[in-house]
Amino acid sequence: MAPSTTATRRVKRKAPRAFLKRFLKQKKPHLGLGRCCDLLIHLNCLLFVQRLAAESRTNACESKSRVIKKDHILAAAKVILKKSRG
Amino acid sequence: MAALSFSDGDPTVRTLLRRVLETADSRTPMRRRSTRINAQRRRSQTPYSNRQGSQTQTSARKQSHGARSVGRSTRVQGRGRLEEQTPRTLLRNILLTAPESSTVMPDPVVKPAQVPEVARSSRRESSRGSLELHLPELEPPSTLAPGLTAPGKRKQKLRLSVFQQEVNQGLPLSQEPRRSRSADVSSLASSFNLTFVLPGQPETVERPGLARRRPIRQLVNAGALLQDLEDNSLDSALPGDSHRIPVAALPMDVGLEDTQPFSQSLAAFSLSGKHSLPSPSRPGVEDVERVVGPPSSGTRLQSRMSRTGSAASPFPFLEPQPQPAEPREAVGSNEAAEPKDQEGPSGSEETSAGPANGELSSSTRDSLPAAQPPPSPGVAVLPSEPLKSVTAKCPSRTQTAGPRRRQDPHKAGLSPYVKFFSFCTKMPVEKKALEIVEKCLDKYFQHLCNDLEVFAAHAGRKTVKPEDLVLLMRRQGLVTDQVSQHVLVERYLPLEYRQQLIPCAFSGNSVFPAQ
Repeated sequence: MAPSTTATRRVKRKAPRAFLKRFLKQKKPHLGLGRCCDLLIHLNCLLFVQRLAAESRTNACESKSRVIKKDHILAAAKVILKKSRG
Repeated sequence: MAALSFSDGDPTVRTLLRRVLETADSRTPMRRRSTRINAQRRRSQTPYSNRQGSQTQTSARKQSHGARSVGRSTRVQGRGRLEEQTPRTLLRNILLTAPESSTVMPDPVVKPAQVPEVARSSRRESSRGSLELHLPELEPPSTLAPGLTAPGKRKQKLRLSVFQQEVNQGLPLSQEPRRSRSADVSSLASSFNLTFVLPGQPETVERPGLARRRPIRQLVNAGALLQDLEDNSLDSALPGDSHRIPVAALPMDVGLEDTQPFSQSLAAFSLSGKHSLPSPSRPGVEDVERVVGPPSSGTRLQSRMSRTGSAASPFPFLEPQPQPAEPREAVGSNEAAEPKDQEGPSGSEETSAGPANGELSSSTRDSLPAAQPPPSPGVAVLPSEPLKSVTAKCPSRTQTAGPRRRQDPHKAGLSPYVKFFSFCTKMPVEKKALEIVEKCLDKYFQHLCNDLEVFAAHAGRKTVKPEDLVLLMRRQGLVTDQVSQHVLVERYLPLEYRQQLIPCAFSGNSVFPAQ
């Protein structure tokens, strides 16, 4: 499992299903969401965030800073968004 | 039997042996054995004693030696007996000689007794010195104490949602007293904590509050977001006020809706309005403002529900007119403001609606059963000004509540992902950087929705199915021929979600979820 069991800060594991469904309804009202699709969307988001975090961490380490800064994330976002365009 | 012959030759030794064996019980456990068993052994062992006795070379010495040697020989015989004996007899002898009290048995009895005692003592301490808050927190540990295996069972049996609810109830209480209390309950508390560090992670303390508030917020948000869309399109500051008031007053709507006679009509209008929501924004804006106008009278708050309705005619707007007499005294200044605003709608920026508003205002003012002007342009922009007046009255509440609520649901929905981001990085992240993460997530969500729409349309469907999601992940490179989507599901999602996603065979020749 993901390494969250050792975290001092507890990470939410519940998927915001209502939020996801509402979001999709707002953007694409003609589209319906099938059974358990929001869980897969949640999974997708988790993986996206993980990749983004890993990339930003790499950037920060390369610039030898102990804190992640805006530019690290911006650069990471460009790469990861391009990758996850599908 | 040479032994027999030997024994016949030395009866004294045998008698000696017998005497010794019968009297000297404490030397070896073998003593306790019955003498009849010893008879044969003695005969076989007399050769030992005889040999030993013969080694001493004198009969008297033999006897004395025999006595000693008997002791030795008995020991030897004991050892010899040990060799000859079966394990069962050995054990029996050990049991006979071993202390009867054992340290193994009472311990499990002692430990659980100790733990409740600890709990009781801590409870007493806490009840004396601390607040009542501590007591409910102690109840879960006390329930944990007697059944140490119970938490383990609880882990497996609780469902995620139920579990998290329980944790939310337990955690807020537990966090406070834990800090204040001494380490006495630390063991219990730690065990308490341990049980809850599970895949189904509990949520933050704020969750109970959010859960309670959410139902009301949803009503607000849809309207607020819609208004924002329209407001943004119009680029006017006034609608900013307009939506603030409805936002502020909406919670009241929920309560007042039942009491108003026109609630049904308004609800109908609101339903029709919502359907036509994606259509032109202007009617929507006008609806908002028209809807807000009546509320300015003070009693027509629920009319805001029909804010989205474009088809909603000014009928509800007009309807209040017959009854303005009642609220007029009460609302007074609002009414005064309203006619003023009705007369001067030109101040609004919806210039096209201006003349129509003028017509409307005049019609409404003059005649109660006014003909219903065309709905779309006819909606008065008046509400914008009455809104101003109302905002003047309660500026603080609306101004603070509006913008916070507008962004809150969207941000609140994204916040778990942002937190997950800051957790994944394992490094401190700047606050400004987190905002960028939010923007990234927004963009990502938009891409996601677009892609899903395209995939579903490609399959000739109007609903998104899991296959679309799998295709998306495949295109992103997450799912490959080596890594299937089930593997990812297993890795990252908690059990309850896994059960719903991955088909599994159950008893009775059934598969859940059904394919």
